Amino acid sequence: MTSLRQTADQLIPELAPRQRQLLMAGGVGLAVSLVGLFFNPAQFLQSYLMAYMFVLGIALGCLALGMVHQLSGGAWGVVIRRPIGAAARTLPLLTLLFLPIALGMRHLYVWTDASLVAHDEVLQHKHVYLNVPFFLIRAAIYFAVWNALSYFLNAWSLEQDETGDPRIARRMQRLSAGGLLAYGLTITFASFDWLMSLEPHWFSTIYGVLILGGQGLSALAFLIAVLVWLSRRPPLDDIIAPEHFHDLGNLMLAFVMLWAYFAFSQYLIIWSGNLPEEIAWYLHRLQTGWRFVGLSLVLFHFVAPFCLLLSRAVKRQAQMIVKVALAVLIVRLIDLFWLIAPEFHTAGVWVSWLDVVLPLSLTAIWLGYFVWQLRGRAILPMHDPQFDEALGRILERAGERP
Amino acid sequence: MTPADQDSNRADVGSGTPPVIAPGHTFGSVTDKISAIVLTRKTPIGWWFGFLIAFALMNVMMVAITYLFVKGTGIWGINIPVGWGFAIVNFVWWIGIGHAGTLISAILLLLKQTWRTSINRFAEAMTLFAVACAGIFPIIHTGRPWLAYWLFPYPNTMGVWPQFRSPLVWDVFAVSTYATVSLLFWYVGLIPDLATLRDRSQSPIGRVVYGMLAMGWRGSARHWHRYETAYLLLAGLATPLVVSVHTVVSFDFAVAIVPGWHTTIFPPYFVAGAIYSGFAMVLTLAIPIRAIYGLEDFITLRHLENMAKVMLVTGLIVAYGYTIEAFIAWYGGNKYEGFMMWNRMTGPYAPVYWLLICCNIVIPQALWSRRVRTNTKALFVIAIIVNIGMWLERFIIVVTSLHRDFLPSSWGMYNPTIWDWATFVGTIGLFLTLLFLFLRFLPMISIAEMRAILPEAKVDEDLRVI
Amino acid sequence: MRISSTLYGLMAEFDDANALVAATRRAHDEGYRRMDAYSPFPIEELHEALGSHHSRLPLIVLIGGLCGCVGGYALQYWAAAIAYPLNVGGRPFNSWPAFIPVTFECTILVAALSAVLGMLALNGLPMPHHPVFNVPRFALASRNRFFLCIEVKDRKFDLESTRRFLETLEPREVSTVAD
Repeated sequence: MTSLRQTADQLIPELAPRQRQLLMAGGVGLAVSLVGLFFNPAQFLQSYLMAYMFVLGIALGCLALGMVHQLSGGAWGVVIRRPIGAAARTLPLLTLLFLPIALGMRHLYVWTDASLVAHDEVLQHKHVYLNVPFFLIRAAIYFAVWNALSYFLNAWSLEQDETGDPRIARRMQRLSAGGLLAYGLTITFASFDWLMSLEPHWFSTIYGVLILGGQGLSALAFLIAVLVWLSRRPPLDDIIAPEHFHDLGNLMLAFVMLWAYFAFSQYLIIWSGNLPEEIAWYLHRLQTGWRFVGLSLVLFHFVAPFCLLLSRAVKRQAQMIVKVALAVLIVRLIDLFWLIAPEFHTAGVWVSWLDVVLPLSLTAIWLGYFVWQLRGRAILPMHDPQFDEALGRILERAGERP
Repeated sequence: MTPADQDSNRADVGSGTPPVIAPGHTFGSVTDKISAIVLTRKTPIGWWFGFLIAFALMNVMMVAITYLFVKGTGIWGINIPVGWGFAIVNFVWWIGIGHAGTLISAILLLLKQTWRTSINRFAEAMTLFAVACAGIFPIIHTGRPWLAYWLFPYPNTMGVWPQFRSPLVWDVFAVSTYATVSLLFWYVGLIPDLATLRDRSQSPIGRVVYGMLAMGWRGSARHWHRYETAYLLLAGLATPLVVSVHTVVSFDFAVAIVPGWHTTIFPPYFVAGAIYSGFAMVLTLAIPIRAIYGLEDFITLRHLENMAKVMLVTGLIVAYGYTIEAFIAWYGGNKYEGFMMWNRMTGPYAPVYWLLICCNIVIPQALWSRRVRTNTKALFVIAIIVNIGMWLERFIIVVTSLHRDFLPSSWGMYNPTIWDWATFVGTIGLFLTLLFLFLRFLPMISIAEMRAILPEAKVDEDLRVI
Repeated sequence: MRISSTLYGLMAEFDDANALVAATRRAHDEGYRRMDAYSPFPIEELHEALGSHHSRLPLIVLIGGLCGCVGGYALQYWAAAIAYPLNVGGRPFNSWPAFIPVTFECTILVAALSAVLGMLALNGLPMPHHPVFNVPRFALASRNRFFLCIEVKDRKFDLESTRRFLETLEPREVSTVAD
């Protein structure tokens, strides 16, 4: 019988080659897309922003879900705590990956153009907030907060693994309470800065919550996919039970509904008000070919996953729920495409090859980094206060009581 | 019939977190203790005292509404530009209070939080009574309440239909659906307990009335199975419903283009505010009731602490809403929005605004401390403060957004009259009257669910061998 | 004694949930089918022990919800686009975004009504009288006692042998249930 105390690397030898493959594939993809940067830097940055927000969403969503689990408890979080931690530990990489956006700001954000601002009363008004130095300072603050949260939670989690000291759990809870508050505020302003200000005249107070809900959904879908992968090989194959997928599936259903709720509320309020400064955002999406992207979001970001996840059978079978989870990840990317691309291609739908290659390569690199982080620690948090409640009985049955 | 035999079974609850039910209780003791409040125990003098005050207040409402029917809405302080005064403030406040009941009974059930069991019944009753109070206001605000049925779509000789693009019509559907589903949920939950009361009532009238309401419930395993399925399905339906109700209420404001109302954060922020005020009201009621009826074994400190935590979280979401609203009012660059926010903070209603910030955001931060969360007196005071704060929030949203119209020539002030106050205080009387009647005649804690969470209710896994 | 017309069945009374579940399983293994178990709170295992099947209730609720959804939208479409078309601020007659809230509420309303009425109908309630209430001690089924009742209509039912079988389950007592 294998001991669950060993690191994931020792228990799942497959992780190391997977990590190499992912990093190589990502590296090649990124190298190819550099051609795009050379010929069309603006398009490169637009696609890069989308790809970046996609992987950042998964990592931050995991960080936030981990903090929610610290506070709420519950069996659902115990089995995914290690993937959550590994995803949160990718934040240093993501900080580095933000550099292209910081360096290429003038290709993305029209408010960086001084001559344009000089002739626009509203942009002058916003200049106190929307200016390059303050933008960079804010970004530095966001990354400082996220990295600090990830660092301390992961360091304490490691300490908890080694010592099993129950006081650590309380310490992590306290940090998580403040951390969630900090995450909510930073992600809101980050989404205002990085996404909403792509169209600097437009504003919507629900925007931060919409992005936050989307990140939670991305993270859950990602974690379900990882858990299914892990559940297919030892040592987790006889530990992960249908109940775990059921709980996570229900959570994913809740996030699908939440996202639809936020997105529809925003649309209905702006559609009904029909005010010129607000409706413009929808006009150049819904009166051009972009409306089909919007329609596909209604169908595949809400209707299809909602109907599928209502079914108990879908939620309890690993091979079914993993398909739903992967599909949700793809529509998450389409949602970001819908938020970003129409700002630059107002005439109609425009898909650049970079919109495909960059998300793929960035995701591959990030995943490689994630696998590297996953390898270093035990695959289950043996000293989680909820551990016995969640897994004690299953482990006893399998004769693996540590 | 009272069984003479004593139960030998003893419930042992493990140490660690405070229990959701004090140790030592059995199926019999739980049943007897809760049903005795309704059936055998003498009505406490405090009940009569409270009921009479509540009933007197309710009569204030009756007088106020009667006078309103005679004279019209001119007796209120509403005017042009402030066409929505106390009536809408109170409507939103009451309907928000109702939300905690559904949240406790439905969402916490789905999340498998067993601690909800001892507070869900009475929180659901609170929901119903709060919705009843809320429903009065839009109807009397229409000016011709006897024509309120015009709000419903029905074939008529005038050949007109309700305007379905108006959130006020959505409200009619949302609130009436909410009232119906809450009633169903509450009643379905009551059926097994009504059967208990039927079987234990000493008086023939009690036996007949509870018997009719219990519909012949006999605890059959097949019935229980469908019952549980129905209850879970209702919980699954009530959860999105409760979110939709306050969302629709927020649409009443947000769909209009009045600065201060038209903002996209309103739906989630209204829902959070509703849960916030609802939990404050549950605490306001639960703390005295558990003391008066000696229910500390069932409504333990763990319940109070959990509710305090929910209040802290929802209060922070509300604070987030205020922050983003204020930030975007500036960031949006619309001068009417900017002026509205500035006027809220520094204009004639500024003291009310800052009082609301104090009540809703500053003072509840004390809930971060565990000592405060487990101190019933402190919790009670904070709960009252939050109740007041959430009422002030609606006052600020309704009044300050309206009283400075787009043209300074149509600016005005809103001064509530004695009749505004009388109607508001009167509905508190109605709410409490209904609540006192509920406490007297129905089990305020779900007996069947309490039995099910006792340790002895667990069936061993391998008991094929006896 | 002509049992078929005056007797409903035999009822055994137990002290706790475990005993009732075990007894029900034994009775099922023994071949008894027309029986029911009564408890003061829901016991998941009892339902399985009786050999019952999944409930049709979720399907009823789903159909109810779909009817509410389609009906709710149809009502608004008919009222706003056909019966009483009115131009409100240039919005289309079929203003679908504005029709979503009412459609949603109608869905929930009809689904919830189907859940409650469906549950009552499948359970055959209201049924003010039932033979099991003829046993005086059955009043404790809503307090702290657990009952197993084997009906006369069961093919294996025999007053003597069934009573003997029930006695082997170590009940508190076995009583006859008059019809």
